[in-house]
Amino acid sequence: MADYSLIIIGGGLSGLAAGIRFARFGGSVLILEKHVIPGGLNSYYFRKGFLLETGLHAMTNFAEPGDKRAPLNRLFRQLKLSRHDFITHEQFSSLIHFPAGNTLRFSNDFSLLQEQIASRFPAEIDGFNSLLAVVNGYDPFTPKAWISTRVMLARFLHDPLLIDMILLPLMVYGNSEEHDMDFSQFVIMFRSIYQEGFFRPDGTMKDFLALLVDKFTSYGGEIRYSSPVESIAITDQQASHVKLAGGETITCDAVISTVGAPGTFAMLSLPRQEEKYAGRMTFVESIYILPRQTKKEVKSDHTIIFYCLSDQLQYCQPVKPVDTSWGVICFPENFQGMPPSDYFQIRITHAANYDLWKKASPLEYTAMKQEWGAKSREMSAKIIGNYEQNIVYEDSFTPITIERYTAKARGAVYGSPVKIKDGRTPCRNVFIAGTDQGFLGIVGSMLSGVSIVNQHILTDN
Amino acid sequence: MTRGEIKDVILEIIADIDEDADMDGLNPDEPLRDQLDLDSMDFLDIVMELRKRYKLQIPEADYHELATLTSCINYLEPKLKAL
Repeated sequence: MADYSLIIIGGGLSGLAAGIRFARFGGSVLILEKHVIPGGLNSYYFRKGFLLETGLHAMTNFAEPGDKRAPLNRLFRQLKLSRHDFITHEQFSSLIHFPAGNTLRFSNDFSLLQEQIASRFPAEIDGFNSLLAVVNGYDPFTPKAWISTRVMLARFLHDPLLIDMILLPLMVYGNSEEHDMDFSQFVIMFRSIYQEGFFRPDGTMKDFLALLVDKFTSYGGEIRYSSPVESIAITDQQASHVKLAGGETITCDAVISTVGAPGTFAMLSLPRQEEKYAGRMTFVESIYILPRQTKKEVKSDHTIIFYCLSDQLQYCQPVKPVDTSWGVICFPENFQGMPPSDYFQIRITHAANYDLWKKASPLEYTAMKQEWGAKSREMSAKIIGNYEQNIVYEDSFTPITIERYTAKARGAVYGSPVKIKDGRTPCRNVFIAGTDQGFLGIVGSMLSGVSIVNQHILTDN
Repeated sequence: MTRGEIKDVILEIIADIDEDADMDGLNPDEPLRDQLDLDSMDFLDIVMELRKRYKLQIPEADYHELATLTSCINYLEPKLKAL
């Protein structure tokens, strides 16, 4: 008999959700996490007494408790977590900011976006509402051939500016493709961001992860940290055990890997196929901590500002280390009903070029961080005003940081542009969940873990 | 297990799955799915709970037998008779 029925590689959100789902019905399951704490891309760390979150700007897919079909509430039912005990804080509102004073505001009340489009793009509102009818009637979960979102949008909207404005938040929060996106992915993102909206859990990412780990261990699930998997051993065309970097082997009946397609293939001693499966969209992010009393000096009435200061959105890997012409400015404290704190944060995110960061020497890397941090502050100051003089602490991460802590090939936070929607690999008891399976964001990646367990592990297909 | 006991088990499992389930006024001959607004993922939970509690294997081809409360009882009665 195997040591475990199921081994899950990666203790990020998809791995934890898969683990809870399987352990809930009595299955023996072990999660192997290479880092010292759980969370993967959505984790946390401490510096100078501040708890800093990685990844999270906001959770998407807001839904009130009781709305049974909403993805957030379906997820909670699947994990047997009480939605009523889960306290959430909704966003204030967010802003899409383009050149020449073109802005659109949106909130968790979808009608605000409709009103904004009607008043700023009056010739386009009928087209937008026709697009909305298509989105509402679309099933994005049934596998189908790739459809260009830009071609679809051009059927309903004529102003390229409005198309880019609508696309920016949806792309930057979950598109692994450059320039365009699959229409199914567009529909998922449109619903999760514009129709459902942004929120954050009460407490920190550390608390949220503790809730998940506690649930998992309460069902008898086990998790081991600092346990990088080196390989998955195959016997008679089936995975029989995993081998840890230290040499230890653990036997199992099935494996769910959340480390992405290239990393999983490498563990199976198959070609990594990076040219096909490694995404090109990766990011740098700067985190600034400032005293609360200086908040009034910056334009900080929104939760998230999605900006583009060039005429056309270039959603692609930049030719320079960082593209500051567009980005995201997030105020993590700007959610309704958050307890007051002595400090507030500004987080600024831009697309980055993995190769240029990767090839830098340690000295060059530090210099690049400083140079691009300064450019980022200069650019963001054009939108929210100067804040540099008030910064008490700053930190930043690059594609290299992401790669080191999360196992995402080339630091591509949204993974492969080619998704493996059925989660299957060439090995029949090894499955892929998480980013490269296709659902994105915190709620999405957790649903990915749940659905792979439901489809392949709980039901005997 | 009697039909009444089986009914109680099903209702208890549903209440366990869905903290918002409203069992009052449930019509035993109407689809549970429509009345409780459940989806296929929730139905898998019913199947899995029955497996966990009674070691009962319900093949996917039989899932439709669980559509209504009455059809659940009809389907489970011979399987749980000995318990």
